[in-house]
Order: sequence, then structure tokens, then C-alpha cells
Amino acid sequence: MSTLTASQDRAVARTSFDGWRWGGRLFLVFLVGFTVMPMAWMLITSLKTGFAAMQYPPQWWPTEPTLDNYWRLLDPRGQVGQDFLRYFGNSVWVSVATTVLAVVVAVPAAYAFSRFRFPGRTFLFFAVLLRNMFPAVIFLVPLFILMRWLGLVNTHGSLILTYLTFGLPLAIWLLKGFYDNIPIQLEQAARIDGATRFQAFFYIVMPLSTPGIIATSIYSFIGAWNEYIYAYTFLTRHDQMTLPVGIQRFFSENATDWPGLMAATFLMSVPVVVLFLVLQRYFVRALAEGAVKH
Amino acid sequence: MRGRQLDEVYRKPNVAERAWQSRADYLYVMPAIVVMLVVIAYPVYYTIELSFFKTPPSLQLKDKIFIGFDNYTTILGQASFWKVTVNTLIWTFFSTLFAFVLGLGAALALHREFVGRAFLRAILLIPWVVSAVAASYVWKWMYHSDFGAIGALMVQLGVTDQPINFIDNTTTALPSLIVINVWKEFSFAMIMLMAGLQTVPEQLLRAAKVDGANAWQRFWHVTFPHLAGVSTVTILLLLVTNFNSFIIPWLTTGGGPAGATDIWITQIYQLAFGRQRWGVAAAYSVLLFLIMMTLGYFYVRALSRGDDKREVA
Repeated sequence: MSTLTASQDRAVARTSFDGWRWGGRLFLVFLVGFTVMPMAWMLITSLKTGFAAMQYPPQWWPTEPTLDNYWRLLDPRGQVGQDFLRYFGNSVWVSVATTVLAVVVAVPAAYAFSRFRFPGRTFLFFAVLLRNMFPAVIFLVPLFILMRWLGLVNTHGSLILTYLTFGLPLAIWLLKGFYDNIPIQLEQAARIDGATRFQAFFYIVMPLSTPGIIATSIYSFIGAWNEYIYAYTFLTRHDQMTLPVGIQRFFSENATDWPGLMAATFLMSVPVVVLFLVLQRYFVRALAEGAVKH
Repeated sequence: MRGRQLDEVYRKPNVAERAWQSRADYLYVMPAIVVMLVVIAYPVYYTIELSFFKTPPSLQLKDKIFIGFDNYTTILGQASFWKVTVNTLIWTFFSTLFAFVLGLGAALALHREFVGRAFLRAILLIPWVVSAVAASYVWKWMYHSDFGAIGALMVQLGVTDQPINFIDNTTTALPSLIVINVWKEFSFAMIMLMAGLQTVPEQLLRAAKVDGANAWQRFWHVTFPHLAGVSTVTILLLLVTNFNSFIIPWLTTGGGPAGATDIWITQIYQLAFGRQRWGVAAAYSVLLFLIMMTLGYFYVRALSRGDDKREVA
């Protein structure tokens, strides 16, 4: 009797368990389809000629796949290629500069928020976090005036300075989560052995927080790479434009060249997606520590 | 006598003294604070100031005229104001709801170990990394009224006879844009909640199972309460992001057709850089700022609850 109940229980448990499991799998299939479809269509369209793209019903797979759109964008001899490569270079420069500055500024701040108990610490920390709450548009007009006054309109300096601020709050938050998890005894031991506070920080804490720094860098880089509104407002000169604005210009000048546009969006996505996929475990880990522990 | 002296010696230092004692600590946060002050505090102050003035289209600040609350009454008197507000609320609410639900589902489905889990997680994170500009153009192309993939697919599957004109139609435009937005940001909810799921104690789930709780009961009574904190933060951040979205509506429809996808931010941008009505745009921004600060209050409260807990522990 009791064995019967037990096996029944097990059977019930197994079937209900499987129901949820299959539901979960179906849901994942749907979600992956939803996620992949636009990216797949971007890639497929980018391999078509302009003529092949403008057909109804569409060619689900191009009958004559071609890499011409990519060659055109990457050919430094043509006008399109020159523009695209310049935008690409501008984006790389702005994103790298923003990332380096963000790490330099965020590391000491996050360390101080984690370790020291100075008056106003909590207030300052939340003030920094509240930056997430401000819409970019609020800052457009005053920052535009500020940049005009500083003579930075139409320079990459205006973008780097602006991007720095919206990368900072999350960078500080992520890093603080990391420092909170590094035992303070390690630094105390170093201090007893004669290290200064800075040495303890630099030689003990910094290396241990490398994953956090990597995560912060990815976040800043992606944010800067993808930013559109400020670049759209602060830059009017073509040779200064970054990719998101440059691509918009491409679109407005060649409104029906969908394959070319898709190739350009694909090339724009490659660096950030690759960077993120290679380093995502750091990012997910950092977010886990930051998001949950606070 | 002696006691009094001791009291004086061991008196708790006041704020200024403690601040002076920890002056070296401020050096660490100084760069961050200075950048924030220049690029945040100054613009906020400036926006508030501009909202009380009429500034000429050329943005010559010396010619601005004080007009009190006129910019605010102008906004509230606009026929489009309430329509834009309703659009913004629909956009924000449904984007947040669907992004959160899909993110939660994905986090739960990916929580269990299985072959290919890391790969699937990576795939699902891609939309969040891709720029909103790229996302807008790809979806605009998929929604294309003549050659769009979605329209053609629906005809081939027999859902409709004719391809639907998704984004040039006042009834379907806003929902179509919400789909793009959900595509873009459900992964954010997913990573936050995946992180949250790691805090759910495994023993508790097993104990609940032994006690005969079914999968739904285990989720509702054990998992979900542990996710409450992360969920609050995630939802607040999603609300803020969505309220402040600009790129997707701006690049796909530009607020059209007939204002069907015009939301606060696109409206503010239009007023400022399209029509050079700086004062009205600034007043709009101040209203937006007040809403964001209200959400910000809850955000800080949700975060500081966790922070207190950690410090006690």
C-alpha cells in the first residue's frame, strides 16, 4: 500500500515536473526564434542585391548571394567606403577613450564607496546611482549650450565627456559589488606587512577585481558605441560622425538601399556582439554580485 | 569632574570633523563627483531656469525674457499633450510588462543546467547589446509595407490575405514599436532575474518539494519572494528606460503616423531641436524630471533596503 502510494507520488511528481519542463522548452524555442529572426533577416538581406531585396514574396534565401554590399562599405577607394570607415574609426576612438576614462574614474570611487565610511557616503552613492533616472533629452539643451561655451561642439571631446557620465553610475555600482566581496583582511594583512593604503589597493585589490573591471569596460564600451542622441545633436560635421549617426545619414541618402543598410548595421553590431560574447561571463557575474547583493 | 573631561575627550566628532578626518577618502570619489556635477547638476539647474523664460530660437541666452509659468500652461493647454501622455503610458506600461514577463520566463527556463544552456543565454543576450539604431532599422525593414518579411510570412501562413501595413497605420504603429522595444530589452530583465535566482536557497526548494508542493507552489511561495527585491529594481529601471526611450520611435516612425507613436521624449526633442521652442521643451523636461525623481525615490528605497541588510550582516 505504502509502496503503491510512493510510486504514484513519484509518477505524479514526474508528470507535473515534465509538464513544466516542456512548457519551459517550448517557451525557450519561441523566445530564441523571436530573438534570432531579426538578426537572421538582417544577415540574409545584406547578402542580396538591391533588386533581389525588393521582391514580393521575398526570397527567404537569396538566389544569388553576394558580398558586394560589404565590399562597397569596406572599400577605402569609394565614397561610401571612405565614409563608413571614417565613422567606424570615430566610433572606435570615442568608445575606447570613454571606456578608459570610465575605468580610471570609477575604480577609486567604487573602492571608496565600498571600503570607507566618510560622511555623505550614502548620499553621494545614491546621487551617483540616480543618474540612471535622468533622461538624456533633459540634458540635451543645457549640454549643448555648455559644449558650445567650451568650444566642444563638433568634437569627439563633447561625446566622451557626456558618455563618461552615463557609464559611470552602473560602472561604480558593479565595481562596488566586487570590492564588497573581496575580504578586507587581505588589505589589512598587506598593511601590517608595511604596504601603504594605496599599495594595498593597487597590488592586492586591483588584481582581484579584474573581472569587475572587465565587466565595467564592456558596459562602458557598448554604451558609448551605441549612443545616438548626443552624437546626433552635438555633431553636424560628417567627418566627425560616429556609426549610429553615420548609418542614419546613409539611410536618409539611400532610402531604398536596404541590403546596403543591413550590411552596415551588421558591421556596426559585430564589434560589440563579439566583445560581449567573449567576455559575457564577467558581465553576468558582475551584475549578479551588484544586482543581488545591494 | 574626571568623567566630564573624559566625555570631552571621547566626544563623538561632529560631521565637519569626521569629514575632515576622512578628507583623504574624498579624493577617491572626487573625480566621479566632479564629472557628475559638471554634466548633471549644471544641466538640471539650467533646464529648470530655462523653463521659466522665453528664449529666442537662436538660443541667444542674453535675450531671454522671464515669463513665469507660461511655458507650463502652454504645455497643459496643447491639444496633443494628453494624447502624447496616453501614448507614453501605453508604451511604458506594456514594454515594461512584456519585457519583464519574457525575462522572468527566460531566467526560469535557463536556471536549470542543460546542454547548450550557456549558448542559449548568449544568443538571448544579443538584442540587448545591439544598438537601438540597428534594431530600429532592421525591424523597420521587417515591417516594410511591400517587401517586409513579417507581412509576407503572415500571408504565407494564411493569417491575413494582404500584408499588414504595420507602422504606417495609426492602430498598429504603437503596438509594433512596443514589440521592437520588448525585443531589445527583455534580456536585461533576464540577466537581472538570473542573478536573483542564484540567491534562492536550493534546500528550501527541496524541502518544499518533499512537503508536496507542486512546481507552481514552489515558484510562488519560495522562488518568487526571494526575487522580490531584484524584481522591484528591474521593473523600476525598465520603467525609467521606457519612459525615456527615444531612438526606436524616432528612427522608425518619427512619432507618426498622425502622432500615433509620439511620446514625451520625441515630443520634447521636436519642440527643442525641431521648432526651437526651448522654454516649452525645458518645461516639459522639468515635468519629466519630477516623474523620474518619484521613480528614483522608490529605486533608492529598494536598493538601500538591500544595502542596510548587507551592512548589518
